[in-house]
Amino acid sequence: MRKETPTTGWVLALLALAAPAVAGPPASKHVQASLLAEVESLQPGHPFSVGIRLQMAEGWHTYWRNPADSGLPTRMTWRLPEGFQAGPLQWPVPRRLAAPPLMSYGYEGEVLLPVVITPPQTVSPGSEVRLAGRVDWLECQEACIPGRAELELVLPVRAEAPRPAPATATLFHATRGLLPVPARGWDLKAAAAPGVVALTFRAPQAPSGAYFFSDQPLVVDYPSPQTLHRVSGRHRLDITRAANGPTPSRLTGVLLIEGAAPLAVEVDVPVSQLAAPPGAGSVLPLAGRGLGVVLALAFLGGLALNLMPCVLPVLSLKVMSFVRQSGQESSRAWRHGVAFTAGVLLSFWLLAGLMLALRAGGRSVGWGFQLQSPAFVAFLAALFFVLGLNLFGVFSLGESLIAAANLNHERTGLASSFGSGALATIVATPCTAPFMGSALGYGLTQPGAVSLLVFTALALGMAAPYLLLSLNPRLLRLVPRPGAWMEGFQQFLGFLLMATVVALLWLLGREAGAEGMTRVLLALLALGLAAWLYGRAPSSGLGPRARLLAPAAAALLLALGLVVGVRQADGGGRPVGGESGLNWEVYSPETLASLRAQGKPVFIDFTAAWCLTCQVNERVALASSEVQDRFRREGVVALRADWTQNDQDITAALASYGRQGVPLYVVYARDPGRPPRVLPEVITPGIVLGALDEALGDARTARGLTSDITSPQ
Amino acid sequence: MKMMRHALFAAAFCALPLAHPATASAGAVVGQPAPAFNLPDANGGQEALSSFKGKYVVLEWVNFDCPFVGKHYGSGNMQKLQKTYTGKGVVWLSINSSAGGKQGALDATKASALVKEKGAAPTAFLLDSEGAVGQAYGAKTTPHMFIIDPSGKLIYNGAIDDRPSTDKADIATARNYVQAALDEAMAGKPVTTTSSQPYGCSVKYR
Repeated sequence: MRKETPTTGWVLALLALAAPAVAGPPASKHVQASLLAEVESLQPGHPFSVGIRLQMAEGWHTYWRNPADSGLPTRMTWRLPEGFQAGPLQWPVPRRLAAPPLMSYGYEGEVLLPVVITPPQTVSPGSEVRLAGRVDWLECQEACIPGRAELELVLPVRAEAPRPAPATATLFHATRGLLPVPARGWDLKAAAAPGVVALTFRAPQAPSGAYFFSDQPLVVDYPSPQTLHRVSGRHRLDITRAANGPTPSRLTGVLLIEGAAPLAVEVDVPVSQLAAPPGAGSVLPLAGRGLGVVLALAFLGGLALNLMPCVLPVLSLKVMSFVRQSGQESSRAWRHGVAFTAGVLLSFWLLAGLMLALRAGGRSVGWGFQLQSPAFVAFLAALFFVLGLNLFGVFSLGESLIAAANLNHERTGLASSFGSGALATIVATPCTAPFMGSALGYGLTQPGAVSLLVFTALALGMAAPYLLLSLNPRLLRLVPRPGAWMEGFQQFLGFLLMATVVALLWLLGREAGAEGMTRVLLALLALGLAAWLYGRAPSSGLGPRARLLAPAAAALLLALGLVVGVRQADGGGRPVGGESGLNWEVYSPETLASLRAQGKPVFIDFTAAWCLTCQVNERVALASSEVQDRFRREGVVALRADWTQNDQDITAALASYGRQGVPLYVVYARDPGRPPRVLPEVITPGIVLGALDEALGDARTARGLTSDITSPQ
Repeated sequence: MKMMRHALFAAAFCALPLAHPATASAGAVVGQPAPAFNLPDANGGQEALSSFKGKYVVLEWVNFDCPFVGKHYGSGNMQKLQKTYTGKGVVWLSINSSAGGKQGALDATKASALVKEKGAAPTAFLLDSEGAVGQAYGAKTTPHMFIIDPSGKLIYNGAIDDRPSTDKADIATARNYVQAALDEAMAGKPVTTTSSQPYGCSVKYR
C-alpha cells in the first residue's frame, strides 16, 4: 500500500493537471452553466481570461447586458482568493429575439462570457488557486425561469507564462471574434430629434444593413425597425426613440454592421439635439458643421432679403436717405449707416425676443407670424399710406429733401435712419430669402443666446449693403447730387409705397374679408384727410395749437376704424390661389398619410397670402402649363397648406421639415417607403419638373437601405 | 444669378430623406391622456376607464405564472400596496393580457379564484385576452405599472421598483416607483420619476 501511494499521488496530480479546467454542475434542465479557463495555469501578476459558458436547450434563451423589453441580464458574483480582481463580463454581440410586439436582446444555443482575472504578485508558484462564484441568469422560452449555478475552477500557479488550454482555445478564439471592437476611424456621431435618434458613421466596407443595440434603458423603442441611409459618403441609422424616455445626452451600446464580413463596434458618443428629424431640410448637416456655418448662412440670407419683393418698396426709403446724405458732408454719412444698422439690429432682436417668448409660452409661431394678424396688417397699410403721402408732398415731417440738403438736422437725420432700419425689418419679415429658411429653422429652436446670434447675423446681412455704402465715401460720389430732380423722384417712390399698400390691402381682404378691407380703406381715407389738414395747417395761420388738432382727429379716426373694422372674419379668407388651374386639396396630416398609404405621389405647397415670395413662386412655377400637365398626367395630388392665419398643424408640419416659415415645397414619391424631397424656397418650372422626375422614377433610383430583421437568426 | 442661387440650393439640400415617423403603437405616453378601455372583469361585470374619472387609477399587468410577479405576490408586497392605496381611494386594476393557450391565460373563474388565493385586493381584475388594451398601453412585461391621475392623464409608466430581479430579498431595499409616484401626486407635488424601464416576463400576446 505504501509503495502505491506515490503512484496514486502521481496519478492524482496528473489528473489535477490534466483536468480540462472545467467545473460547475448544471443548475437547470434548460441551461448548463460552466466556468472555463483559457489557460492551463496562471502567472503571478499577469491577467488571464476565464469565461462563463451557458449552453441553452433548443428554444430557450438568456439575455444580454440590456435585455431590452423583457428579461434579465446574466450576472456573476465572484468569490475569489485574496488579492484577485475580476473584470466585468464581456458580452459578445447579442441576437435580436423578436416576440411581437416585443423585442429582446440575448443569446440562443451557446454563449461564452469572457472575464479578465488579475492575480496579485504575491501568489506563490507551485500552489493552486480556487476561483469560484455564483452565476444568475434568466432562461426563457415562453415561460421564464430564474437560473442559478455555483461555479468553481482550480488553476495551478506557475512562474512561467501560461499556455493556452487546448480544450477551450477554439471557443475563446471564436468568442473574441464576436466581441465588439472600439470604433476607431468610424467617426461616430449621434443626434436626437423628436421621436428619433440618428447615428451617423463611416463604415470600412459598404454595409448591407445595420442595427444598434442600446445598453441604456428608455432610449430606444426596441421593436421598431431601424433604417439605414447613405448620405454622401457616410451612413446614417435612424432609430426610433422610446416614447417615454427623456432626451438622451449620450448614446452607448453596440453597432452591428451586416454584410460580407459582419462587424460590431462599441458606441459611446454624446448626443446633439436637433429640432426636427434628421434629413428634414438641412438640419442635420447644419448641426454637424457648427454654428459658424449657420451664421454665415444667416448673413447671406439677410443680404438676399434686400432683393425680396417685400423689401423692395422699402428700398426706396433707404435710397432716399442716401441721396439726402450725398448732399451732406460725406464724412458724416457713416453715422447714418450705423444708425440704420442699429435700427435693423434692434428690430430683429425685438422680433426674435417676441417669437421666443411666445414659443416659451406655448404658442407655436413661425417666421412672419405677425402678418397673420389682420390688425397688424392694417397698421402696416396705414403706415405705408402715410409715408406715401409724405413722399407725394401732401405734408412734411420737418425734413423735406430740399431743406435737408442745406440744414444741419443731424440728430433728426440719425433718428430717421434708425427708424428706416426698424421699418425695413418689420416689412421684411414675411419674406424668407434663400439660405434664411434653414438658418432660421435651426436658430429658432436653439437656446436663447444661439438664437439671438443667428438673428444678429441675419440683421447684419440685411443692413450690410447700406452700411458699406455709408462707410465708403467714394461710393457715395456715384450717387447723383441733390437737385430739382429729387422732387419728381421722391413722388415716384411714393407710388412704389402705394403699391405696397395695395398688396397689404389684398392680404387684408383674404384675412378679414371685404368688410374688413373696406373699413380699413375708410380709415385710410380719414388718415389722408388728416395728413392733408396737417400739411395745410401752417399756411392757414391758425397757430401752433391748430396743428395738433388734425393729427389728433386722424388718430381717433384711425383707432375707431381699426377697432371696429378689423376683425378676423370667419371664412373671410378664401383658400389662397386657385388661379393656378390645378385641383388643390386642403392639406392635413391625415390626408397626407392616407394618400401616401394609397401610393399616390403628392406635392405639398406650404404658402400664405402675406408671403410674397410664395405668390411669385405660384405664378411662375406652379401656374406653368408644363408643370400642370405633368401633374395631371402622373396623377400627382396637389395639397395646399395655407398658413395665412395661425394653424398649429401646419406650424408643426413646417417644423418637422426643419423650417419655421413659408414658402416650403415638398414632393412625395409613389412608393410609401421613399423619403420626400424638399424643394428650394425659390422655384422655377424646371425645378418642379426635375423633382417630379426624381420622385416618379422607378425604385432602382432609390438610395435607401433598410435593416429590419424581425425573426431570431 | 437665379440659376446660381438654385444650384447652391441643390448643394445645400441634396440627398435629404425624411426620417420615418415613430411607430403608431408606441404605447401610452406620460403626460398625455391615458388610452380609454372597457374590459370584462373576473366577477362577470364590465369596467370602463372613463367611469373612474376623478380618481387615481393604477393599472397592474399581471401573470401569476411569471417568477417576477411571484416575487411581489409571494412576499406580500403587491397585496400590501393594493390594500394601502385602495384604502386611500385609489382604483387598482389588475389586468391580464395573456392570450388563450399561452402562459398565464385566465378566464373569469380562474382569475377570481387566484385573486382570493393570493389574498390580492385590487378594485377589479380585468381580462384582456385579446391583448388590445395591453398593446394600446404598450404593456411589455408582467409586472408593468401605469398610474393615471384624476383628470385622465398618465403620470407614470414603468417598473414597479428599481430592482429588476426575481429575488424577494430585493424588495426591502428597492425604491418602489408606484408608491413614490402616488404619494407625491396625492400630495399635490410633481412626480419625480415618471417613467422607468419595466422588468418582468414578456406579456404573452396572441
